[in-house]
Amino acid sequence: MSTANSSIRDVLYEPPGPKTRRRIGIATAVSIVVLVVLAAKVVRQFYIAGQLGPKYWSLFARYTTWRFLGRGLAGTMEVAVAASAVAFAAGLLLMLGRISRYKILRGFSTALIEITRGIPTLLFIYFFFLLAPQFGLKLPAFWKITLPVAISAAGVVAEVLRSGVNAVPKGQAEAAVSLGMRGGSVFFKIVFPQGFRYVVPALISEIVIVLKDTTFAYVVNYSDLMQNAKVLISNYDALLSVYLVTAVIYILINYLLHKLSVRIAGRNRIPGITIE
Amino acid sequence: MKYACLLGRTIREAFVKEYGTCSMSIYALLTQFGDRYLSALFTTYKLTAAAFALAVVIGVAVTVMRIAPVKPLRMAAEFYVQVFRNIPGAALLIFLVYALPYLDIVLSYYVCVLTAITLIPSAFCSEYLMAGMNTIDPGQIEAARSLGMTFAQLVRNVVLPQAVRSSVLQMTNLLVATMLTTALASQVPLNPTDLTGIVSYINTHAVGGVTAFLISAVLYCVTAVVIGQVGSLIDRKVRVLR
Repeated sequence: MSTANSSIRDVLYEPPGPKTRRRIGIATAVSIVVLVVLAAKVVRQFYIAGQLGPKYWSLFARYTTWRFLGRGLAGTMEVAVAASAVAFAAGLLLMLGRISRYKILRGFSTALIEITRGIPTLLFIYFFFLLAPQFGLKLPAFWKITLPVAISAAGVVAEVLRSGVNAVPKGQAEAAVSLGMRGGSVFFKIVFPQGFRYVVPALISEIVIVLKDTTFAYVVNYSDLMQNAKVLISNYDALLSVYLVTAVIYILINYLLHKLSVRIAGRNRIPGITIE
Repeated sequence: MKYACLLGRTIREAFVKEYGTCSMSIYALLTQFGDRYLSALFTTYKLTAAAFALAVVIGVAVTVMRIAPVKPLRMAAEFYVQVFRNIPGAALLIFLVYALPYLDIVLSYYVCVLTAITLIPSAFCSEYLMAGMNTIDPGQIEAARSLGMTFAQLVRNVVLPQAVRSSVLQMTNLLVATMLTTALASQVPLNPTDLTGIVSYINTHAVGGVTAFLISAVLYCVTAVVIGQVGSLIDRKVRVLR
């Protein structure tokens, strides 16, 4: 879950002596040359294929292009927010079921969690796209993409929340009980808020997964960023550049979310608490 | 569009008359599509195994670059990881299939799928290895060095065993995640299709209905649970107790 902070990298090597410094210098020079050559090859391939022509890139100087992509992005965000909310609610219920004292409820929730975690999102999308209409369940395109994405995230959310709750030291609940609190309020006022805090970074990582899954919206004909990119492509006859820009937009958004998650993880770190 | 709907309804009604339900029985489905299911399952397994193996190899190589004392290598590897851990699978696959030909690079559908479902897990593999390495107390490395171990000895005897042992669970999750990513194969015409593709295949060629979905779902799920169980078994055996 957590990413590389450089702690181990920094102690892995001793401070280099003069010989090693020279060797590192040579390696650095060689690797720069190799990387530059590789980058040049990519650019050259673009050039040879004629993909650097202004025909393919001038459309990005227009306001309408960005407005259209922005509208698609708004569609993507709507699905991502709705799916995250549904997944959180469902995940919370599944987690409560999984830690409940009733065996049947526990077994049922565990099974549901395993099922949602073990099936690809696309299969759920096909379920809502191809099969639900056969039962007379007519959903708008928005829910045909939102529900499957939410379902396949719900199980993971449940497990993430559970790992947070499990990481709260036993003494917290014991102290609450000894102050006369009841079971329900011990959990919701003492244990859960702390556990939730521990797993905020992991939940943000899950939002990234939700956002990535929304790209399947083209299957159900919902106009998200990807779908609008397709429209742009047929309007301007510029496939490569539009797909490249779209991919970069997705990568940037997810990268920022990832950075946010890492930063919160660093700030929330509590000594002695480990989250599985 | 309207006519297509009408046609679909007529076919369905004919089916309901014939079978009494709009969904085929599991028996009828398996006699008609049984061997297709087998080859679909095999395709999914094959893709999973190949992609996972390649992803681990690339992931290890990228991790080595990320800890190397050569700055450009580190930056390039970091860039690689951030790109492929953050790109949506569908976007990557669409790019490989439709955009690369414009660069005079034409890959077969199979190669496109395999590339997409290898590159993404490889980035996560590297992240997990880095995280596994970070569970090692820096004091151990200082201790190893003060015992006079060379760098190679240190990596081989102190860092790698612990990094590998503490990332077993995450590698298991990676294997399951790779399997789930193989569903991307259903987005291109492959023959034989994978376990997800067969659901839409059956639903366009017959009214397989919910049964077709359930068979694929169960096969995916059982595989995921088995992988998970084996993984936690291995993890319990090799876990580094701290």
